[in-house]
Amino acid sequence: MKMVKLYSGNHQWILCGRDVHKTAQIIDTNQYIFRTRNRCLLIDPGGTELFSPMLVAALHWAPIEEITDLFASHQDPDVISSLGLWDKTLPKATLHAPKLWEGFLRHFGCESIEYNGIPDEGKILNFEGSELHIIPAHYLHSSANFNLYDPEAKLLMSGDIGAALEDNDSPVFVDNFDEHVEKMRFFHQRWMPSEKAKLDWINRVRKLDIEMLAPQHGRIFKGDDVKRFLDWFESLTVGIATV
Amino acid sequence: METKIHKSKFVIIASIATEITKIINIAKELSLAAGNAKAIAYRAGDKAKGFQPITDFINELAKETLMLVNDINNNAYSLYNISIEEYRIKEAIKGINKVNKLIGNKNQQPYYYNSLESFSLTLNKELMYCSEDLDIKVKELLDQLDGIMRPARAARVIAANSRIEASQADEYLQSLQGVAESVDKAAQVIYDSVQRSQRTLSMINHLD
Repeated sequence: MKMVKLYSGNHQWILCGRDVHKTAQIIDTNQYIFRTRNRCLLIDPGGTELFSPMLVAALHWAPIEEITDLFASHQDPDVISSLGLWDKTLPKATLHAPKLWEGFLRHFGCESIEYNGIPDEGKILNFEGSELHIIPAHYLHSSANFNLYDPEAKLLMSGDIGAALEDNDSPVFVDNFDEHVEKMRFFHQRWMPSEKAKLDWINRVRKLDIEMLAPQHGRIFKGDDVKRFLDWFESLTVGIATV
Repeated sequence: METKIHKSKFVIIASIATEITKIINIAKELSLAAGNAKAIAYRAGDKAKGFQPITDFINELAKETLMLVNDINNNAYSLYNISIEEYRIKEAIKGINKVNKLIGNKNQQPYYYNSLESFSLTLNKELMYCSEDLDIKVKELLDQLDGIMRPARAARVIAANSRIEASQADEYLQSLQGVAESVDKAAQVIYDSVQRSQRTLSMINHLD
């Protein structure tokens, strides 16, 4: 699994993805590691198929006892179906995930891991002085859905928003926005059901100072491409599958 | 040609749950048959005097069977939970073992790789405890299934006695023979279900 350090300051952000061992039938996903001095948060740690590669990746950055937290932006299998395996592997950990999905997510197996249900309005998590703001992104695409915003790194982990379906050897960053648009269009139109929710999220996110917008699939947007993406998304008609 | 049938622990437990449901249903039918027999015996009066106490026995047997089956049901549910736990631990161990394959050579070993080793041992211990629990539960369940054979055998004796008593009940002969038949049939169904469950359950220890 490819690992790319995205930020290094009081804490670190690492992208883990483009897994070469992954079978072609499985959608490619980006996992993120948020590392502070003694704690390590795995963000959207992935499906069961990705458990071992993700464990290898995490052990590059933290010993097993310091992998203390998991975050699931929503309930999808490519986001968190590995939960039952982390539950047996991590000695002491907390899963931060939508409160609305708790009863559903526990089906993956969540006995030793503590479930910290995130309320609809979001909240702020504090990791040894480093803050992560949990930003509501409901209906984009899941009914209870959250992004993570790091005000120090100016990084927004945007879940499925900004996702593109690409080969698993694609570059990490968007290098040509206009070309990239076509890789995102259908995904956003088909998966995102609500114009109202879309505009609500855009208004919320425009107020944030964002240097990097990091989705769960595809490439990361940097600098001016973040604004380009927000403008493009605003003008895009979503919820197209009305038959 | 030998046909190999692969059965997972979950399939085995589900099969037993199906057999248990059959026994519960038949015990309920037995209870209804007891009520029916009581009514017939009451109408028959002196002609079915010997049959009257038998109806109480049938009712008692149905109650006892239901009670035993409920305990078996609870135990089968615990067995299911333990096997789920065992499955999840095994999957986690598999995942951890796969880490070594992914790493390939020592130069690519993650910096904190060693932290996994002690935890892997803990997980293997947990698996051992879980497997022991599973063995205990299987033995308990086999004993419980054996226990349910006793009322089934008693039901067959009662069915034989019922036939004798029915033969002296003149115009009620057919109705009371019908009761005897249903008791006998219930006993046979319970007997067969228990035997199938025992055979299936004894396979569980030979599976991964």
